[in-house]
Amino acid sequence: MLEVKNLNLTYDGKNYVLKDISFKLEKGEILGIIGLSGAGKSSLLKALNLLEKPQGEILFNNIDLTQLSRKELRKFRKKIGVAFQHYNLLSRKTVFENISLPLILNKENEIEKKVSNVIKKVGLEHRKNAFPAHLSGGEKQRVSIARAIVSNPDILFLDEPTSALDPKTTEKILELILKINQDMKISTIIVTHEMDVIKRICDKILYLKNGKVHYFGEVYRFFSEFEKELNEEFYRDINYNYGKLKLKNGKIIKVIFYGESVGKPVLNKISKKYDITFNILYGKIEDLKNAPFGKLILEIEGEKTNEFINDLKEHVYALEVLRL
Amino acid sequence: MNILNELIKATLETVYMTFFSGFLSVIFGIPLGIILYLTSISQLKISKVIYRIFDVIINIFRSIPFIILIVLVIPLTKLIVGTIIGPKSAIVSLTIAAIPFMARLSESTFKSLPKEMIDTAHTLGMNNFEFIAKILIPETLPKIVANITLLLINLVTYTAIAGAVGAGGLGAMAINYGYQRFRLDILMYDLIILILITQIIQFVGMKIEKIIDIK
Repeated sequence: MLEVKNLNLTYDGKNYVLKDISFKLEKGEILGIIGLSGAGKSSLLKALNLLEKPQGEILFNNIDLTQLSRKELRKFRKKIGVAFQHYNLLSRKTVFENISLPLILNKENEIEKKVSNVIKKVGLEHRKNAFPAHLSGGEKQRVSIARAIVSNPDILFLDEPTSALDPKTTEKILELILKINQDMKISTIIVTHEMDVIKRICDKILYLKNGKVHYFGEVYRFFSEFEKELNEEFYRDINYNYGKLKLKNGKIIKVIFYGESVGKPVLNKISKKYDITFNILYGKIEDLKNAPFGKLILEIEGEKTNEFINDLKEHVYALEVLRL
Repeated sequence: MNILNELIKATLETVYMTFFSGFLSVIFGIPLGIILYLTSISQLKISKVIYRIFDVIINIFRSIPFIILIVLVIPLTKLIVGTIIGPKSAIVSLTIAAIPFMARLSESTFKSLPKEMIDTAHTLGMNNFEFIAKILIPETLPKIVANITLLLINLVTYTAIAGAVGAGGLGAMAINYGYQRFRLDILMYDLIILILITQIIQFVGMKIEKIIDIK
């Protein structure tokens, strides 16, 4: 569907803003692009949009967008919908007129019907004659998304769609994005700096750092592998050094559950089997898009701790010994 | 009675000069402003050259004092109108002075459009004409109206200067009666009418601006 190969972007021929970016997006997938400010997220989105001219290949249904002429590209843009962080709505046009703009530009017919359908989909029937200045942030983002999907694009780019919204509105917008993704089977790329957005709706994640791909792949794998780094960079939590705890002299282990193992009493069963007592130091469960994701930090004591650890490893997603 | 007739005639002449040259300045000045704006945001080399040329020309015209400009454009005025006396001839120099002013005002207004709107236009696959018609002009319309108001008020003052060199209108009357014949009463009437014209233009301009600006 969309394949990016060795994408580079420089502003003056020397300083790389993006370096050697490669990734692939299948039809209907949601990809989250995450990174700190200055990591190159916006530049990447601009490059994918061809608002900046990058080197490398952007294959969209096997057509290299970087090789198209300005005119060809203009036609091609109908297949790409973009919603911006600051909405970028026309201030003197109503909700309805704003959403109909792409259709008018494409000279499509049945505009009235198509726009009404989309307005319904984003839940703005009651606001269709309102002007952007009279809408809330969430409503403006709905209009922006509606405008992006009205011409039935194959791919949807969302630039920080929830960054300016409160948590409750964010949740509603994320629900909408998921619904659109499922209804229209539209491939979506969402740029964000909010981990919760990634967790909630993304299938894959592209983690950018200093203009390079630091990680690209499944979301759950990312959260178990990059946990420490994430805590440092995104949550500003202090990574607690469990090793220095002097409660008892037990071993301290970290267990990660993902998918099926979350719903089973694995720990209880196996600990009984080896006669292990455990003390929970930390526990957390989160919803990723496809399955829950849990984390436990335990202090364990008993005769057969090694056997316990080996057995438990088989039944959970990941296990790490923090202190022997 | 004679004086009253003259005042009415002078008022009409001033209004005529102001609005006619104002109209022409808008017709030529705003497109020139659009050219300046589009060439300033474009990455193409040719655009930068075009911008530079217009930039220099506009600066030259804007640095010429109006009273001198009137003299400089006398040959052109003669060519277009056939005479250098009267309100019609004044329109030539008024328009030439006002076009660069309007172009600069428009340029800076267009530059206030958020850069993201240009990205939006690109992502919607708009060409330049669609961008101008659907985004640039509509989004900045309230400010354009404010610019036109400002232009017209400046032109009222300029007509008075033009009046000193044979353009007619309220300016000429003020000089003829007030300055040369010490008729302070007529000078006062003259002034009151000029103030009224300015107030009315400002009032109407702000009203229109308020109606079309959606807040």
